[in-house]
Amino acid sequence: MPEESILSDDFIRELMNVGEVDILVGVPTYNDAATVGQVVQAIRAGLLKYFPRKRAAIINPDGGSRDATQDLVRAASISDMQHASNPQALRTLHSISTTYGGGAATSRGLYAILAAADLLHCAACTVISPSSINIDPEWIPRLLQPVSQGEFDLVTPVYRRHKFDGLLVRNLVYPMTRALYAKQVREPYPSEFALSGSLASHLFSLNLWTQHEGRDGAELCLTISAITGGYKIAQAFLGTKPRVDHAPSDLVAAMREGVGTLFSSLEEYPNWMASTTSQTVPTLWGEPEVMLEPLRVNRKRLYELFRSGVAELEPILTSIVSTSTLEHLQHLATVPEQEFCYSNELWVKTVYEFAASYHKAVINRDHIIQALAPLYRGKTYTFLVENRDAPGDEVERHVEELCGVFEHMKPYLGEIWNGGK
Amino acid sequence: MPLSQDPLWYKNAVIYQVHVRGFQDSSGDGIGDFNGLAQRLDYLQSLGIDTLWMMPFFPSPLRDDGYDISDYRSVHPNYGTLDDFKHFLDAAHDRGIRVLIEMVLNHTSDQHPWFQESRSSLNNPKRDWYVWSETDTRYRGTRIIFLDTELSNWAWDPVSKQYYWHRFFSHQPDLNYDNPAVREEMWEIMRFWLRMGVDGFRLDAVPYLIEREGTNCENLPETHVVIKDYRARLDREFPGKMFLAEANQWPEDLRPYFANGDEFHMAFHFPLMPRMFMGLKLEDRKPITEILQRTPEIPATCQWCLFLRNHDELTLEMVTDMERDYMYDEYARDRSMRINLGIRRRLAPLLDNDRRRIELMNGMLMSLPGTPIVYYGDEIGMGDNVNLGDRNGVRTPMQWDGGWNGGFSTADPEKLYSPLMLNPVYGFQAVNVSSQKRFEHSLLSWMKRIISVRKSTPAFGRGSIEFLYPANHRVLAYVRRFEKETILVVNNLSSAAQAVELDLRQFKGNILIELFGRNIFPRIGEMPYLLTMGPYQFYWFRLRKI
Repeated sequence: MPEESILSDDFIRELMNVGEVDILVGVPTYNDAATVGQVVQAIRAGLLKYFPRKRAAIINPDGGSRDATQDLVRAASISDMQHASNPQALRTLHSISTTYGGGAATSRGLYAILAAADLLHCAACTVISPSSINIDPEWIPRLLQPVSQGEFDLVTPVYRRHKFDGLLVRNLVYPMTRALYAKQVREPYPSEFALSGSLASHLFSLNLWTQHEGRDGAELCLTISAITGGYKIAQAFLGTKPRVDHAPSDLVAAMREGVGTLFSSLEEYPNWMASTTSQTVPTLWGEPEVMLEPLRVNRKRLYELFRSGVAELEPILTSIVSTSTLEHLQHLATVPEQEFCYSNELWVKTVYEFAASYHKAVINRDHIIQALAPLYRGKTYTFLVENRDAPGDEVERHVEELCGVFEHMKPYLGEIWNGGK
Repeated sequence: MPLSQDPLWYKNAVIYQVHVRGFQDSSGDGIGDFNGLAQRLDYLQSLGIDTLWMMPFFPSPLRDDGYDISDYRSVHPNYGTLDDFKHFLDAAHDRGIRVLIEMVLNHTSDQHPWFQESRSSLNNPKRDWYVWSETDTRYRGTRIIFLDTELSNWAWDPVSKQYYWHRFFSHQPDLNYDNPAVREEMWEIMRFWLRMGVDGFRLDAVPYLIEREGTNCENLPETHVVIKDYRARLDREFPGKMFLAEANQWPEDLRPYFANGDEFHMAFHFPLMPRMFMGLKLEDRKPITEILQRTPEIPATCQWCLFLRNHDELTLEMVTDMERDYMYDEYARDRSMRINLGIRRRLAPLLDNDRRRIELMNGMLMSLPGTPIVYYGDEIGMGDNVNLGDRNGVRTPMQWDGGWNGGFSTADPEKLYSPLMLNPVYGFQAVNVSSQKRFEHSLLSWMKRIISVRKSTPAFGRGSIEFLYPANHRVLAYVRRFEKETILVVNNLSSAAQAVELDLRQFKGNILIELFGRNIFPRIGEMPYLLTMGPYQFYWFRLRKI
């Protein structure tokens, strides 16, 4: 059981010393010394400025860092043990770190945070990524105030992002989550978010931690759990999310985390079949924005990976997608680059057939996810071409159109879910 | 019972602050007096206190509850005569109780003959006994202390057509301590009372004695020259007597008033007091430990005076703006409870009449480094009445029993100097000495017990302090040591039960003996010492190696 290995006696002792809190900030880490110091200092500044009277604590579950990560987090604490008066702080601020080992398993880190939130009876909990170097102290009230004032149970972020950033979320995770669970949560797989104490306790009690032990994607499960559980959800504009250049090899790992979790959720939350048209989610402190700076992207590489993927993975694709879908993909793989267009309809049909096959485990599930990667690259190519010169509102319109197709074609997923291909 | 001859008697003292007006009326005029107070000395002796601090009782127009003095060598007729005072003083000494009186050095009443003379003409010999000016622009930037009533530290005198300086109410002109005649006369006044037998003075408002342009007119070097001179004379002519400073300042600014042990014997630790209340409400020891970390060492013969409440508002001058706002919001949500920069409430109402919190606060008062002062009535949990104006709501008559006028006076209730507390919670029929004396577990009985334990534990009055810093910030723990005695004090500031692990390895091998019940607790070993504590509970342990 995860709770036996994560909630060590030392951690329990530290929680005992923290005691009941109003606000808990979780920062899960693994070798994040390059960035976490800046992050926790911003968190501390935000707590002191916006919640000076609240009992607060920073909880850092660490996967076994070999750098100064944990020391940097502990340095954010404010106490009389430091023997230097801190007139800016009315109260003690505990910043504690616990090691659960096992590397960067964010689900275990999240589990530890939720355990702390439950044990300390916090009214509001927020989780902040240790690599959010653009964090501002204002993130703290933006995430926490809607929760601590009792208006919402879950606050996810929205950002100012480059139009070519977060494409897996834009082209698959967001529209599919929106279609299935009927809530327009722009970042369903958030790296920072806030929860009410009641939602945190509910999530802590779920079985998903044992199922996802050692595997990432817990944040997506958390969002889906909140949606399906009828919790009140809002989005908070946090500002700019810096673009991160991912190596091509990162894609499969990202797809395991995002897409694999999303596909699994269809089994855990079967009420997606009954959900209707998606609803908007209140967005606070500003609307998401799209940045348009020129960006060099190797589109041709994407096109080539799509083509080679379709050819090499044909025996596997035969098991996963329908005959008509496979024919369309194979035809697309022969089209010259200038004419290449992976349409929304074909893409959604592809994704839904993959989801159904994942559910039926027609082959090893991880292989199903890996097989989707080259197809996703093809869709990405089309997105980049369509939006190469597009202004922000046009990019958003394209995303909205894709979401519409996901929603419109949901009955198809229902048909093939338990039936044949 | 003879008075203790220990020259450092004030370090072991437990002081009781009382206003003769409000304690016991013997004449039936509705106002307490010295004969009445003398009648109640047995009660005070049984309570266990050994020093009385008398609030002002000199002749006065009573526009500031006696701090506006019109004659320094007499007793206000409301309270009796000089002989009555002498009789009371002797009776107190017979019971081993010392008596401190107020000496308002900084200012007089505008009705004092000195001021009447001073203002009468620019050439009067006493003109220079006060601080006069053609304009009201001198000493610009000096803060106003009574913010609710005063707009300036200067007041226009229509008689002599000049301004006079006053740091408090405008009817309290400041004396001019640059005038040697003033300094001499004030010493002669003190000598008058010392010869009568008083044991010391609380010197009121000492930071403000001297003014200088370009300064904030507080804590100036010349002030210390004055005090040093008085102290030297005191030691020479009246050894064993004591000066207590009333200086509402930050600890580092207070330190000079001890000098090298040749100024004040004692000084109130003003900044600690609001932080005790703050720590309790925050359930966090941080405000308390930080102010004590900031408190400088003082000479071995000197002592801090600690208090929870007194006759004034709970002052919030020596806190930050954020802390003040917090205190107002938590302890004085009703704005009528606020006055100047403080809160005009008594101890029990501040603590919601919660017996556990009252005990905890008194426990800290009795165990933190310093001499504790109990404000009259707080030992039975008296309430307050903010509707009486100024700070009068915390100065209502002492409640002795549930009968006529609470046993305070035989006068018609309408004649009392102040209405009694009447409500069902704090009224005299609910809260009084007589009913609490009947019960072993009343607040009064408990106060007697804790004072007794305090007095039998020299480490509290004389000892050093070493804070332990358990990771549980809701627990305030410290060790007091004096000679061979080591006392561990652990306070749970929280409204919930707490577990705390204390690092007591330096005391390995000692057993803990709880001071109230005298039960033994496990021996200290290598492992952190685990204590579990109920809400607002505190422990006093003696450490013994057996």
